[in-house]
Amino acid sequence: MENMKTIKQLKRQQRLGISPPSAPTLAGTAPALGTIDTSNVDAGTLQLAQQLANQIVAEQQQIQILAASGRVFTRFDAVNDIIDNQTETVTAGLWSGNIGSLTTYFTSSTQTNSQRRYYVDTFDGDPSVTGSAVQFALAYGNANGSGSSNYGNADSPSKAIYAQYRQLLLNANDTRFTTAGSGSTDSIYVVNFKRNRLKERLDAGNFELPLAPMSASADTNGTGSNVEITGSNPSFGTIRLIDDSSISTGTVTESGRVFNIVSGSINNGVFSSSDPVYYGLAYPDYGTLVLDGKMLDQKLQFQTNTTSNSEGNNHFRLFHSVSGSAATASLGFQARNSEKVASTHYFVRVKNAEYNFSNNPSYVTGSDGLINQSTFIGDPKAYITTVGLYNNAQELLAVAKLSKPLLKSFQREALIRVKLDF
Amino acid sequence: MGYLNNSSVTVDAILTLKGRELLAKGGNAFNITQFAIGDDEVDYTLWNPNHPLGTNFYGTIIENLPITEAIPDETQALKYKLVSLPKQTTNLPIVTVGNSSIVLQGPGSSDTISPNTANIQGGNANLGYTVILSDSTVADIQVTTALSNPGTLPTTPRFIGDNEDAQSVAVAGFEFKVFAKTLIVASKTATITIIGNETGGATTINLTVNKATTANLNLTS
Repeated sequence: MENMKTIKQLKRQQRLGISPPSAPTLAGTAPALGTIDTSNVDAGTLQLAQQLANQIVAEQQQIQILAASGRVFTRFDAVNDIIDNQTETVTAGLWSGNIGSLTTYFTSSTQTNSQRRYYVDTFDGDPSVTGSAVQFALAYGNANGSGSSNYGNADSPSKAIYAQYRQLLLNANDTRFTTAGSGSTDSIYVVNFKRNRLKERLDAGNFELPLAPMSASADTNGTGSNVEITGSNPSFGTIRLIDDSSISTGTVTESGRVFNIVSGSINNGVFSSSDPVYYGLAYPDYGTLVLDGKMLDQKLQFQTNTTSNSEGNNHFRLFHSVSGSAATASLGFQARNSEKVASTHYFVRVKNAEYNFSNNPSYVTGSDGLINQSTFIGDPKAYITTVGLYNNAQELLAVAKLSKPLLKSFQREALIRVKLDF
Repeated sequence: MGYLNNSSVTVDAILTLKGRELLAKGGNAFNITQFAIGDDEVDYTLWNPNHPLGTNFYGTIIENLPITEAIPDETQALKYKLVSLPKQTTNLPIVTVGNSSIVLQGPGSSDTISPNTANIQGGNANLGYTVILSDSTVADIQVTTALSNPGTLPTTPRFIGDNEDAQSVAVAGFEFKVFAKTLIVASKTATITIIGNETGGATTINLTVNKATTANLNLTS
């Protein structure tokens, strides 16, 4: 009696169009067939029910095939075929061409004198050559306006630069940058990455800034001919600066994450990690590095011009130091950018019985739609080159192309994962 | 030990202009619900059943074809879609309209376009047809038997003539009527393309509208 009840229930479900979740699970452990209690059903009945369930599944598959006949569109199963809001962090070399290490540095004469008093743009190649682009800018700031001339009108570029970055990077009531190397500092050098190279942010833990020591007889004006890097001076060797994100979680301020800039290298990590040498602050979310002028003076003989109302062009010292590191030590300025990309994945499932014919005009001959290739008759084949994603109104919203034509036939199924980035 | 055939292919999609437009609208305007598959750049006459190396090489010339990148103009993509049909099919569904050309004698004259789909039962019975008139200065086109969900128009190819006013117009439905416009200077020709919205496939017929004359112009007040 129980057996008949089970089979009748199966048939009733078939009439109502309810499909069993999965035929093989009927007799097993999964809760197949909803409310049917199979604990008191003998094996023979279960086998019979299994056969019937298989038959139902086969019939429904056949119905689906017939329903798809003559169709060019297939609806996605919103649950199983579409995976949305997949966030992925993508990193790449920061410099033009997604290069990770910059070894050539150029300034441009097209930058006006009034601009150069505030900052210097650094190109990756000769600015007059097509394809060269600004990679980063260098600036010098002094809280008291020292190191730059006010040209008689109290307009000090170094004071303006210090105030600018104080406003951008420090909390509202902070008046001075404070580094672990020298404490509160009035003298800062700034490396500001070009926004289009930075994408969303600087990839913390993956920049390495090489700096060469300056000549002891440096000119007081950073653009002077006597501003040079030293030759071989064991007391002042070329250093490499990284952030300390490998040993510290940093701090979070109003301007985002802040890490210390320390000596070290990407490959070997922080130099003397138990007692690092601190050179400044890294703001990866802003794409800005702030170097402590006092530390550069102390470790690299920068001899920053801190004379009041004196045109020091200190930012050019930093330029010479960066570019000089490539010349003397063959070191490159390494950096990566980082961005989060939101994607949706669409799983295009093409079953063996689907999409084996084409509306391509070369597929048919004559006016009655006869298939052109006689070998295709009875064994049709088509090639997939393009996947189109449509809305309900059959408007084409996105297109994906395969790298090569994919053969489709009744003997082949295809699973194509289409990734759409937003 | 060989490598297993990896049958899962991952490809990156780009948004079409229409996709960008709907995405910019926000809300649920951008909602991908279905897919279609195309083979626009494949020439099946390259299939070579006489290839000296045998059956595995019949399609080699097609399979080695480098594919061009996707372009964002939705009207130029997926012109030719793959279609699902029974295995023993010998003739593909084709859209027919009974006549290969329409000639309208003068202003106001009209003709009916009643597309059918041959070689398949009930083809395009649900989503109907899209009709594209290549030159809107020649004639008007109206839907006389509408879709159950009128107002929706699938992505269709776009034809732009020398004259910016002579752009194509498209409508979707089951039956259509084309009305001649008044042509003062000279007779004009255009094309009417009818596309099956379910089966794909298209047919094109020529339309001629004769110049207005005192004989065919209705001059009654």
